[in-house]
Amino acid sequence: MRSYWFRRIAGAAGVLLLVVCVNFFLFRLMPGDAVSSIVDPRFSPEAKAELRNLFGLDQPVCTQFLIYVRRMLTFDFGLSFLSQQPVWGEIKSRLPNTVALLGSAMLLSAALGTWLGVQAARRRGGRLERLVLFSGSVSFSFPSFFVQLVLLLGLAYWLPLFPLRGSVSIPPPTGALAAALDYAWHLALPAASLVMLGFGSWAIYVRNLMVKALGDDYVLAARARGLSERSIVWRHAFRTTLPPIVTIFLLSLPGVLSGAVITETVFSLHGVGKFLLDSILGHDYPAAGAAFYMLALVTVAANLAADAAYRLADPRIRLGRNGGD
Amino acid sequence: MIAAKRGVMRMILKRAVIAGMAMLTLLAGTAAPAFDVASVHGPKVRDLYMVIYRDPDAQVLALEKGDLAILGDITRPVDVERLSNNPDVSLSIARGFHIFFLGFNLREFPWNDPDIRKAVSASIPRTRFVRELFSGYCTPVDTYLPPVSPYYEPDVTTHDYDPANARQMLEQAGWKWNGDDVLVSPETGEALEPVTILSPTANSAPTTAEMSNRIASALVQLGIPVTVDPYDFSTMLKRLDRHDFDLFVLAWSLTRDPDNLFAFFHSSMDVEGGYNIQGLHDPDVDRVTEELRWAPDRPSAEKAASQAQKLLSEKNPWVPIYSRFMIAAVRNDWKGVVATKATAADNIWTLLNAEPASGKMRPLSWCLPEEPRSLNPLATGSAYDWQVLGLIYDGMIAVEPETLEDIPWLAVWWKTETVKGDDGPRTRLTFSLREGVKWHDGKPFTSDDVKGTLLFLKEHKIPRYFDMVRDLESVETPDDLTLIVDMSTVSYWHLHNVGGCPVFPAHILKDITDWQSWKPADLDNPVETGLTALVGTGPFVFREYRAGEYVHLTRFEDFWMLKEH
Amino acid sequence: MIAVTAAGILGPMMFSEPASTSVARPFAPPLWASGDAPPPLRVTLSGNETETAFEWRWDAPETITLTGDVLFSSPPASSSLELVLPDGGRVTLAGLDGARRRHIDIDGRDLDFRERLGLSPFDDAMKLLFPRNGRYRLVITGDIPPEQVEIELSAPGGAWGFLGTDQRGRDVFHLLLLGVRVSLLVGISATLLASFIGLSAGLTSGYVGGAFDSLVMRLVDLLLSIPVLPILMVIVGIWGRGLWQLVLVLGLFSWMGSARTIRSMVLSLREACYVENLRSIGAPTRYILFRHLLPEALPLLLATVTLGVPGAILAEAGLSFLGLSDPRIISWGRMLHEAHGFGAFTAGAWWLILPPGLGIALICLIFLDIGRALEEKADPRLSAGGRR
Repeated sequence: MRSYWFRRIAGAAGVLLLVVCVNFFLFRLMPGDAVSSIVDPRFSPEAKAELRNLFGLDQPVCTQFLIYVRRMLTFDFGLSFLSQQPVWGEIKSRLPNTVALLGSAMLLSAALGTWLGVQAARRRGGRLERLVLFSGSVSFSFPSFFVQLVLLLGLAYWLPLFPLRGSVSIPPPTGALAAALDYAWHLALPAASLVMLGFGSWAIYVRNLMVKALGDDYVLAARARGLSERSIVWRHAFRTTLPPIVTIFLLSLPGVLSGAVITETVFSLHGVGKFLLDSILGHDYPAAGAAFYMLALVTVAANLAADAAYRLADPRIRLGRNGGD
Repeated sequence: MIAAKRGVMRMILKRAVIAGMAMLTLLAGTAAPAFDVASVHGPKVRDLYMVIYRDPDAQVLALEKGDLAILGDITRPVDVERLSNNPDVSLSIARGFHIFFLGFNLREFPWNDPDIRKAVSASIPRTRFVRELFSGYCTPVDTYLPPVSPYYEPDVTTHDYDPANARQMLEQAGWKWNGDDVLVSPETGEALEPVTILSPTANSAPTTAEMSNRIASALVQLGIPVTVDPYDFSTMLKRLDRHDFDLFVLAWSLTRDPDNLFAFFHSSMDVEGGYNIQGLHDPDVDRVTEELRWAPDRPSAEKAASQAQKLLSEKNPWVPIYSRFMIAAVRNDWKGVVATKATAADNIWTLLNAEPASGKMRPLSWCLPEEPRSLNPLATGSAYDWQVLGLIYDGMIAVEPETLEDIPWLAVWWKTETVKGDDGPRTRLTFSLREGVKWHDGKPFTSDDVKGTLLFLKEHKIPRYFDMVRDLESVETPDDLTLIVDMSTVSYWHLHNVGGCPVFPAHILKDITDWQSWKPADLDNPVETGLTALVGTGPFVFREYRAGEYVHLTRFEDFWMLKEH
Repeated sequence: MIAVTAAGILGPMMFSEPASTSVARPFAPPLWASGDAPPPLRVTLSGNETETAFEWRWDAPETITLTGDVLFSSPPASSSLELVLPDGGRVTLAGLDGARRRHIDIDGRDLDFRERLGLSPFDDAMKLLFPRNGRYRLVITGDIPPEQVEIELSAPGGAWGFLGTDQRGRDVFHLLLLGVRVSLLVGISATLLASFIGLSAGLTSGYVGGAFDSLVMRLVDLLLSIPVLPILMVIVGIWGRGLWQLVLVLGLFSWMGSARTIRSMVLSLREACYVENLRSIGAPTRYILFRHLLPEALPLLLATVTLGVPGAILAEAGLSFLGLSDPRIISWGRMLHEAHGFGAFTAGAWWLILPPGLGIALICLIFLDIGRALEEKADPRLSAGGRR
């Protein structure tokens, strides 16, 4: 158990290290003046000096790298070229939206997809199964921005059911409950679009797993014993498919993150993904590197969290049996 | 209004920001005044939300749906057509203080050849570009000040589109064309090297990028092998600052005063990062622009401006191409909108005067097309920051939106005189300040605040205000409502420079340690809790900046204009 | 699939002009969806004609272009070029008095033209000029007739082609067909590259095992944890937006899936009898890898490749939509980016929005379909039709 966690955390650290390396070397391998990738000529002399210190630009590369790693770990990202403000402040204001969007989208699409997959597996050869398989392919194939643009036009403009942009109404509602509902209403369309695009693959995958599970011998035995169908499906077959499902849940995070960038752009959400895009388009290298690092960090953190939750939930693990990894 | 939307390439002139930003309208017109400034007693609206909509489609949709009441700086023809067909929305149009041009690097060959520059100017089909790219919502220009400027000189050398004539002109000067139809220099006998036009990318400025492509084609027809080199705008500015380019396209948003011609064309401004990007070094132009910059009075300013424009149109340091119209849209469920031939509806007067056409008072939503970056009035040059800051801070003199005349604002009376100094004549400005003006936090406004502002800007050499206070010699405050400013030189523009400068509260300025990282919106106000350090004397009080969403301001109940009746 | 590829390769040859030329007015709807959109108009006066007539049975055109020259023997006191409407009303298009030679260059969108007609800058002059169906006349009136006239009144057609035009007046159908090429090119090359890397990694790691295997698998895990689009954005933003850079980067970040699949297949095969036999007779590793395992792996690889193509196409479309692709290359994602940026939504130009999006979806579906079929054939033991 302990060694498992050690490996997981080491793995997470490895990812972050890789990201930091990419950031560091990428921006320094750029054509042109690498220093100007950190220090914009428009900064005041004081700001330039501070940034040179911050990043150790006058020192040898190895020292620079260590300094950079330390900065990353303490979220000390320097100043943004575009706003001349600390990058960390910019990102902090955007994290809540991104996390809320991603979290809700992932959980909802996983839940919906799983439930559909199980139902499809139960009724083999039926219409539902065919529908699920088809919708799975379709939802994967449509480019996300296309679906989102169409949804936005349809449900926010022609039928003004949802807001056109942002995460809060103007003027903002007072009271915690009203504010929470308003926020949910604003995130509804973006999250729904991500779910629409994501549930299909889930459904297909779960369906396949369940088909296999339901075909196993012990299920036959359970049926012979007269256990109810529901009990067989949910408490037995589904349980065995949980580990791969959770694995896939974790693996799907990076993909959803990619979807977040586009979603935030289309729905004008104040999030880290959009910040990444703006920084890249504006050649704001400190900000772009920081945003990318934060996105990777979110991925890794979510992975670890979900893994922990799963392991707590699965009694086989808790009791110390080898859960298979 | 200083327009800085993505579709327009502009660099904000320091002066443009300052003089313009106390009053967001800075356009002149020659139409009969239908608007009486004295009739405005505002603001009437109590809550103002500047809502951040970055996407043009979303802006138009929001306006139509009612989520926005005012949308300014509309550039895409499809948006104009769509909104003009919408009965709930009224559009207004005004000529802009705006010039878009093709610039040469006059330090390099062949751009230092005047014949080439003339030929290029005659090879650009301005009218066709305007029609095709803007559906008519721009004016093709061949002048150095936009037609709307009060100092506009129409009688200058123009270059009508005549490609045949352009070729002929070059032939007569000895140029030939080789087998690939590329120009061959009479001096060196060699064909021209391929050159590039530095241009913003299609992402950030689609019409400008398209314009660059068409300009390049037109020049290839003439025999100059040109391609377009698209650059991210800030990177493009860096290259321009370093003078690392052949040709470039850019747009300026200007003010009512023509002394920017000095900044653009005087040889002393050809430094790294200076405004004389193209590198013009011409003694005649230097002389005339100096006369303009330090003109002692209006008649000599007019004369110098006229001479400067005539001279420039002969020398062709630029190829001016078009000047934009400013178009704004306002929903019809608001009345009191101020729009004249000179200024579109998205101006301070509308904000002061607007109220719902019927029903109860409700918040007014105005579109902010980009995130305000820092809300630091000392450091920022972003037009989006100033769209907010201009509502918070005042200057001593404001600009009448139709006639462009000076109108009293924080100063009720002023005098310009030339006095004898030790080293020669100098301008002395005397201002009599308005009584009863308060800062947002309740402290009274006095001449010490103006003095504190001017001295702070000069002492810290703050770049955006530097030119304004460069010649500042001394500031005296004989009493709380009188201000005497002595400049070290004589210039007609000193009045506008000093009078248009935003005034910052002395009791806040004294606590600033590093003006560059000063973030007043995040600091508590030392006098009144609940307010920030972002306080001015202007009509609206800053309440909240919710990043990515909106900036919220409320009416300043003690605004001086509200108390006048 | 074949139809799509053929369309992509052969289609653009149907067009005589390059896709970048403007063929009709911007945002022109397709011919079959155009209702009463007018055909192009061209009416001339030449020689010493002073009048010509034409029929008009459609909606007003988007704008008119009026160009030409008029020459008089002596400057007329009052003369003008007018349009006579079916109900007899007259609209003065241009004044001709006071000069002997007059050059005319008018576009219906010019603000001064609208002003002269007494309209506001936002009014559509065409509604005034073409109010109803009927017989229109273009006439020169005045006290003296002109000596020489060369005038053309033209108006662009209201609709165009199979799929209309975009904001620059380019033929959308042509662009769409060109986009097929880009999508296929990027999708297939990137996936081929990824598969090549994945195949090598999977084969060797599965067969060799041990530390090398662990290393490769750790690398796979690491790379799988990095969000793809963000890193693509960062790399493209820094290294430039060329097509081949994109293919390279896509390939480098998508080989993990195929590596894992190949590796698990190799692992299972490694224990198979015939491989044992081969080893016992001393066959070298490379021989076993290339002559036996590789051919076994190929059908699976083919399926993996086919299933990977949609991912690459969607990634390219995503990057183009965000604006991070080469603007000179027309891909479907780019078309949607331009539609978004230039106001296709505001203009209601559905023909610009739906075809590229549906096209991407269609190609992806096709590849998914083929891929699944291949996969089922290659290894029936794997979940039928299921890949995540």
